[in-house]
Amino acid sequence: MSDSYVIVGDGIAGASAAETLREEAPDAEITVLTDEGESLYNRILIKEYAKGKLPEAPISIHQESWYDDHDVDLRLNTVVVDIDVENDAVHTHEGETFEYDSLLLAVGGTPQQLPVENADADGIHHFWTFQDARNIKESVEDAERAVIVGAGLLGIDFAAICGAQDVEAKYLMRGDAWWRYALSTEGAEIMHDAMRERGVEPVFDSGVDHFEVDSEGHVEAAVDPNGERYECDFAGVAIGLNFNTELVEPTPIETENGIVVDEYMRTNVDNVFAAGDITTFNDLVLGEQGKNGSWGSAKEQGTVAARNMIEYGSDAFEWVSSYSITHFDFPFLSFGHPTIGDESVEAMTDEGEWRRVALKDGKVVGGVLIGDLSPQSAFKQLMREGRDVSGQTDLLMEPGFAVDDLAATTEQ
Amino acid sequence: MRETDRRIRVRRVGLIPDDARVRHFDELDEDAQAAVSELAGRPRTGRETGDLDDGDVVKFTDYYQIRTR
Repeated sequence: MSDSYVIVGDGIAGASAAETLREEAPDAEITVLTDEGESLYNRILIKEYAKGKLPEAPISIHQESWYDDHDVDLRLNTVVVDIDVENDAVHTHEGETFEYDSLLLAVGGTPQQLPVENADADGIHHFWTFQDARNIKESVEDAERAVIVGAGLLGIDFAAICGAQDVEAKYLMRGDAWWRYALSTEGAEIMHDAMRERGVEPVFDSGVDHFEVDSEGHVEAAVDPNGERYECDFAGVAIGLNFNTELVEPTPIETENGIVVDEYMRTNVDNVFAAGDITTFNDLVLGEQGKNGSWGSAKEQGTVAARNMIEYGSDAFEWVSSYSITHFDFPFLSFGHPTIGDESVEAMTDEGEWRRVALKDGKVVGGVLIGDLSPQSAFKQLMREGRDVSGQTDLLMEPGFAVDDLAATTEQ
Repeated sequence: MRETDRRIRVRRVGLIPDDARVRHFDELDEDAQAAVSELAGRPRTGRETGDLDDGDVVKFTDYYQIRTR
C-alpha cells in the first residue's frame, strides 16, 4: 500500500511540500486541505495587485488543473477542526475524516487586530490573502484619505498601496522611526523620504487609541494616544500575525509562538511535521530557535519537510532568509535577523546607499541594505559559515565588500 | 547553475501581459537577484543564470523583463 500524506494549507510551504512529495514519492496519496477558496497564488505579489500595477492572472501559481495533473487531491474551502494524533487522522468542518501516515501543518497565521475601539469597523483592512488584496483595492480606489498603522515590513505595503492609488495617507508610528528595531534614524529617514514623495506622511510617537465611525459603521477617523484626530475613509493595519496554533492546542504537539519543529521540520509527534510561518524551528545558522516569514524560507521549509516525511533525517533546513521592499525607485533588502544581536555597524556608503549589519558574539546575524544590494551574498556567506568578524567589522561597511577582504586581513 | 554563453538583458516594461510569468525579486535565487540588481535599467548584459528565463518579468524597483540572446 502506498504512503498517505495529508497537508493542511496551500500556501507556498504546503504547495512546495506537495510538489516535492509527488516528485520523490510518485505512488504516494497526497491530499491538500485549505480553508481558502482558491489554490496556490503568489502571496508576495498580491500587494502589486492592490496597488493596481498587476492584473489577477499572473498572480496565480497553481491552477486547479495542476492538482489533477499531479494526482493531488485538493480540497478548497475546507476547514480542519480537529487533529487526532493517536489515530493519525484529521477531521473537517463538514465531518469528513482524512487518515494519514504523515501530516504536514502549513497553517500560517492570521493578521492581528488592534485592541482598540472600533478596530473591526468597515473600511479598516488587514492584509494577508488574495481576497484581502481585492477588498483593499476596491476600498482604496474609493478613498481620499487613509491612515496606516504598523511600522514594519507589512505596514509599508499599505503605504505603497496608498501612494500608488493617489490616496493621501498618515502613517501612524509608535516610535520615532519606521522599523526602528532594525534601522537607525539615518537609515529610516531614507524610507520616510520615499514615503513622503508618494503622499504618505509618517507621524511619529503616535499610534491609535481608537477609531471613530460614521452612522453606517464606516471608519471616519483614527485618534492617536495624544488626542490627535486623523480623518480617513480607509485604514490599513499591519501590526503582526497571530499564528494559527488553535488547531494543535488540544493535542500533544508542542507550541511556542508557533509549532515547534526540529531542523527536519518534525514536531514532537513523530509523524507530524510543520512548515512555513507557523514554525518555531531549530535554526542551524543562528544556533537557537528561530522564526521566519519570508517566501523563500517557507518554500524551502515545505521542501525539506516533504523529504523528511518520506525519510526522516534526509534533509536539514539551513537557510539564510531575505526580504526585499521593491515599492520605491531604490531597492531595500533585509537578511537574516536584523532585529537581534549585541552590536551593529552601519554606514552611508554613497548617496542614497546605506547598510547596517547586526552581530552577535562577533558573528553576522542579519542586516539591512538600502540602495546597494551587492554585498548580500557576502554577508549571507559569512552567516552560513559562522565566521567571527570581531575586530574587522569596519570592512563590512566598505563599498564592494567581499568575503576575501576578510580572509586577507585574517591571514596578515 | 546553468552554464551557457548566453547573455541576459534586464529591460523595464510598462504593461504586463496577462500570460506573462511574473515573479517577485524575493522568489529569485541569489545569483539571479545579483544579476537583476546589477543589470536592471542599465544598458548592459550579464551572464545568463539558471533561475531566469527569456520573457520572465521580475518585480524589482520597477517591472523588468528578461531577454536572453
